[in-house]
Amino acid sequence: MSDLERSEDTPQATPVFRAMPTVLGKRYRIERLLGAGGMGAVYRARDLLHEQFADPQPCVALKVLSEAYEHSTDASALLFNEFALIRHLRHPNVLRVYSFEVDTEHERVFVVMELLRGPTLDRLLCERPLGMAWHELRDIALPLLDALGHAHERGVLHGDIKPSNVLLSEDGIRLFDFGLGQAEEGTLSGLASVSRSRVNAWTPGYAAPEILEGGPLTRVADLYALGCLLYELASGKHPFNRMQATAARDMRPKIKLKRPKRLSRHAWPYVRKALSFDPEHRSVSIAQLREALTVKPGFWG
Amino acid sequence: MHAAPQWRSAAGTDQGKVRARNEDAILDCPEHGLWAVADGMGGHRAGDIASQLIVDSLGELTHPQTFDQRLEAVRQCLHWLNRRMGQELTVSDQQVDSLMGSTVVALLLEGKRAACVWAGDSRCYLWRGQQLYQLSRDHSLQQQLMDEHNMSLEQARAHPGSRALTRAIGASEHLNLSVVELEVLPDDVFLLCSDGLYQGLSHSELSNALSLISPQVALARLFDGVLRGAACDNVSAVVIRQ
Repeated sequence: MSDLERSEDTPQATPVFRAMPTVLGKRYRIERLLGAGGMGAVYRARDLLHEQFADPQPCVALKVLSEAYEHSTDASALLFNEFALIRHLRHPNVLRVYSFEVDTEHERVFVVMELLRGPTLDRLLCERPLGMAWHELRDIALPLLDALGHAHERGVLHGDIKPSNVLLSEDGIRLFDFGLGQAEEGTLSGLASVSRSRVNAWTPGYAAPEILEGGPLTRVADLYALGCLLYELASGKHPFNRMQATAARDMRPKIKLKRPKRLSRHAWPYVRKALSFDPEHRSVSIAQLREALTVKPGFWG
Repeated sequence: MHAAPQWRSAAGTDQGKVRARNEDAILDCPEHGLWAVADGMGGHRAGDIASQLIVDSLGELTHPQTFDQRLEAVRQCLHWLNRRMGQELTVSDQQVDSLMGSTVVALLLEGKRAACVWAGDSRCYLWRGQQLYQLSRDHSLQQQLMDEHNMSLEQARAHPGSRALTRAIGASEHLNLSVVELEVLPDDVFLLCSDGLYQGLSHSELSNALSLISPQVALARLFDGVLRGAACDNVSAVVIRQ
């Protein structure tokens, strides 16, 4: 059957469909859908309580699990895991979460988060098919590296770094969607019950080869995804022509990556290292990447 | 000036009699001269989310000065959504079918200029001078068989999988949008609709409804007609006139 073929939707094959209520938790009026991924949907909502007290900015973002996950027994724990991971972080470039809530009437759990205005990086990339100018790249990359560096320092792995999970808001970069995130051993130990063995998910173009092969999430797996993102920001193109890392790794003859012109000769070896297929070779720190990306490419690169 | 207060429109969507959910979504923005119908892919998990994301994103577009800029903004938004539903999508080994996609047909009007942008088999019709014209051409296997293999409509319909789409938002890495531009004449009436509507009505039923003066009455006539029948798909329509 073709991917695009329409199947007849038989009622008995579909779980009971519950439409999104117009007001969640007797407090948040849903206004519009902001984004959706494989696991959840994010809505803009109006906080009716804050509005009653004349809050000039009563709008928030709500993350609600997608239906496919709602029926899984781990669903609420999964969303709480994400909430707890972000709450564990305090960084101006990480999206802030306000609360984890349950709407018992509609049987929905959701996370209330700050609402940001501005494009995500996937949207910016659509507008800039040749990539960003160096100063734009720097202004995005440095705070993004700071955000991820902070998360790693606090023992939090993101697990799904990609352009659509980074937003350029009016007051700077925000890293968000820790839905596939995990705490490293020794951090938030009570949360360990939600592990990758229960939720095995990834974004094909940005997942490191070891993730695609069922390996555990690590700091260097985040670095691979970050390397793909930096390369794409600098050139407008995915480093491996949108191939999954395992397929790109196994290509013969081997793929030789070229330095994007907007990356300096100084920065390129570090980005190149982040893109190593072998996690052992991904021996570059976020601090090194950060330092390297402050160097402007000269006439000769 | 891009505001188009001279346009009156009526929009509706209905689950139909068979489907467990409504995976269609509609945009009705006469104040910005922008309307759309999106039909999420029936066999896929997130069809309703995909179509809703399309109309909500189009509805949030800022409105630059010129018609050409607005048309470009609509196109760019749809290309971004194609990326969002394709290469940016998180997949999971719990979901066998992780594709997210939707058709879209959008109509942009300003003064005497009109542009219709689409991908998939949701349609745009024009009622002009007592004649019904189909402005969009379906991106479907059925249409392809008729165009490239000279099949009749009946032959193409009988072909297995003829309802399969050849283009849609989220379906492939490179999205090829179709665009038709035309000059608007007085008394033109436009209809945007999902396949659930046009599959359930004859050419003359569509024509009779669009000949009515009020968009609300025309819309009610269209829905009455479809919902009297089997209505085995979701049904959506937007009627627009000056």
